[in-house]
Amino acid sequence: MLRSGGLTPAPMKRRLASSLGALLSAAAALSACQGSEDQGPVNLSKGVPVGAVLALTGNANVYGQDQKIGIELSLAAFNGAGGVNGKPLSLSIEDGGSAEPSANAAVSLQINRGILALIGPTLSQQSFSAGPIAQRRGVPLVAPSNTATGIPEIGYFISRVSAQSSVIAPLSIAKALQLNPGIRRAAVFYAQDDAYSTAETVIFQQALTAKGLKPVTVQRTQLNDQDFQSQITAALNQKPDLVVLSLQAMDGGNLIRQLRELGYRGVIVVGNGMNTPNIYPICQKYCDGILIAQAYSPELQTPANQRFTAAFAAAQARNPKVSPIPPQLTAQAYTAMQVIGEALARLDRRQPLKGLPLAQARKALMAEILGGTYQTPLGEIRFTPEGEVIQKNFFVAQVRMNAGGKSGRFSLLP
Amino acid sequence: MEGLLQLLFNGLSVGAVYSLFALGYTLVFSVLGVINFAHGAIFTMGAYFTYLLIGGAVGANGLLAGLQFPFALPFWLALPLAGIAAATVALVVERIAFRPLRDRGSDPLLALITSLGAGVILVNLIQLLVGAESYSIPVGTLGSLPAALSIAGAKVRTVQVMLLAISGLLLAALSIWINGSRSGKALQAVSEDPVTAQLLGINSARVIQIAFGISGFLAGMAGGLVGLSISIAGPYFGIGYGLKGLGVLVLGGLGSVPGAVLGGLIIGLAEACVPADLSGYKDAVSFGFLFLVLLIRPQGLLGRPQANKV
Repeated sequence: MLRSGGLTPAPMKRRLASSLGALLSAAAALSACQGSEDQGPVNLSKGVPVGAVLALTGNANVYGQDQKIGIELSLAAFNGAGGVNGKPLSLSIEDGGSAEPSANAAVSLQINRGILALIGPTLSQQSFSAGPIAQRRGVPLVAPSNTATGIPEIGYFISRVSAQSSVIAPLSIAKALQLNPGIRRAAVFYAQDDAYSTAETVIFQQALTAKGLKPVTVQRTQLNDQDFQSQITAALNQKPDLVVLSLQAMDGGNLIRQLRELGYRGVIVVGNGMNTPNIYPICQKYCDGILIAQAYSPELQTPANQRFTAAFAAAQARNPKVSPIPPQLTAQAYTAMQVIGEALARLDRRQPLKGLPLAQARKALMAEILGGTYQTPLGEIRFTPEGEVIQKNFFVAQVRMNAGGKSGRFSLLP
Repeated sequence: MEGLLQLLFNGLSVGAVYSLFALGYTLVFSVLGVINFAHGAIFTMGAYFTYLLIGGAVGANGLLAGLQFPFALPFWLALPLAGIAAATVALVVERIAFRPLRDRGSDPLLALITSLGAGVILVNLIQLLVGAESYSIPVGTLGSLPAALSIAGAKVRTVQVMLLAISGLLLAALSIWINGSRSGKALQAVSEDPVTAQLLGINSARVIQIAFGISGFLAGMAGGLVGLSISIAGPYFGIGYGLKGLGVLVLGGLGSVPGAVLGGLIIGLAEACVPADLSGYKDAVSFGFLFLVLLIRPQGLLGRPQANKV
């Protein structure tokens, strides 16, 4: 019988033990150092430090690019209006990639920098992994685009400005059936390895069942799939007249293109993962007609939204190939930055940030975030005590592609 | 019958891509006995080259933001040119990641690491130059060809049929070259024994360059074709194909050209055979199948047993 370590020579054991000891000591020193950093005062030397972790590379980069624009516009607007009672916000953005390990690393890095609050990560899947890190370290994290069930429930320090799927997803199903009352057979696709997709498809399927439409087929894909010929032909054999997708922009855009090329002519409803103009270059002319529920309307006539849309149009004017109409993800990211900025300003008035221990400032900031009411591009928003956004206005849009299929817009339906 | 035909089309169209990808791996493996992990990055570059040559513009990110060539070539011309550009990159990879180690007589396995490094650098270079966003070859690139074909009731996208046909043509050309040309025979000799081949007057270094060049050309063509079929999902586009290509290489038999083709088609068919409600598990099924085959036939389907392996 082999004993544990029985194959390891004694000198090697000693080396292993001393290496392990050194490692443990280093880890303990690091964690002590980390703890003491959190206990020190907020570092205001370069402004009031806040951070963002966005998916700027990988499959989800199409969302991160939209979000970066929103955060930067919001930062400019907030600092332009005086910042945190005269002190500018200092923002650092880290690429969280499109996977969990990269998001975890980026969130830890930002927290170790001494930021007061964090925006991100981009994907629900990443938040389920990186959110607990922020929770353990007591850092307010405002998710700008996570819609899966259970995000604010990660812990007290986790909130979101993106309404969850259960609120918005059923709206597009209802609109599809209202526009096409003859729909009888629905096919469902979702990515089984993605938290957002799996959460949203449940909502979609419940909404379909509630309308008396049990899906005739449910096709499972994977996040990195790009060829869907097998799943599509299997679904088309069931002769659906409604296809419902819970997929991210890249795989969803490709699936729509292949679905149309293989002859599907019926209605397509997509979920929040495709709520970005970055799908246009992927499915091109085949994007035309898809229905999507949205938590933002560029047409909302409020001062906050008018300021935002004007700033967005001015920023995009440098690139004539980009639409001057802001997408939902940009508006939500703008909102997340605004929420943090306004909450910091309130906190600083109540309890000056200068000299305040970092851990205490973060905790007090979280209470301010949850306690506030915000006039944002999304309309007026508040938070539940758990950190779930309370928002009044939701919409359903239809994608309308321009001739040539190179660009398009989300056209709101009445 | 219609269902069987559909399954066959589904499997072959995906398998053709895997085969084309694995052929590049195979060529390098046959002469050096190591896998070129930069192959996926070269495949990705082929897709980007094709996109740019047909008149595509770089997006808002990267050092080349907004760049667009003043010409737009037809796809049929852009594709082989992209293959040539990718071949050039492959030759550079050979020069910097493989040759220095070979010249110093280093363990060939070290080239695995240097090629992996070269691949990572290439992927990051793409990101630096053109950003991380996705690019798509326009839908109408194939002109008046229909988007899909219906053959005996089975549906298949035209681009997939084209991919299958071009893969077949490239395989035939490669087979003719290997078996019918002097340089092809030299490649076979080097793959058998590089030292003996050198003693017989074959310039092994030159043969290795040829293998890299052709491997890069195939990767570039495959990247362009896949980019046409689906969008180019950013600089990491080739990584998934790289993994699958490795599986195909092993299944077909390391270094076997017909094996790479057969392996690709079998993996494609295995994936297509996965029932619809388990379609999210197709990778697990195809690699499980690979595992089973290797248990029975460790040298792969068309590989030769290596009795003296240590």
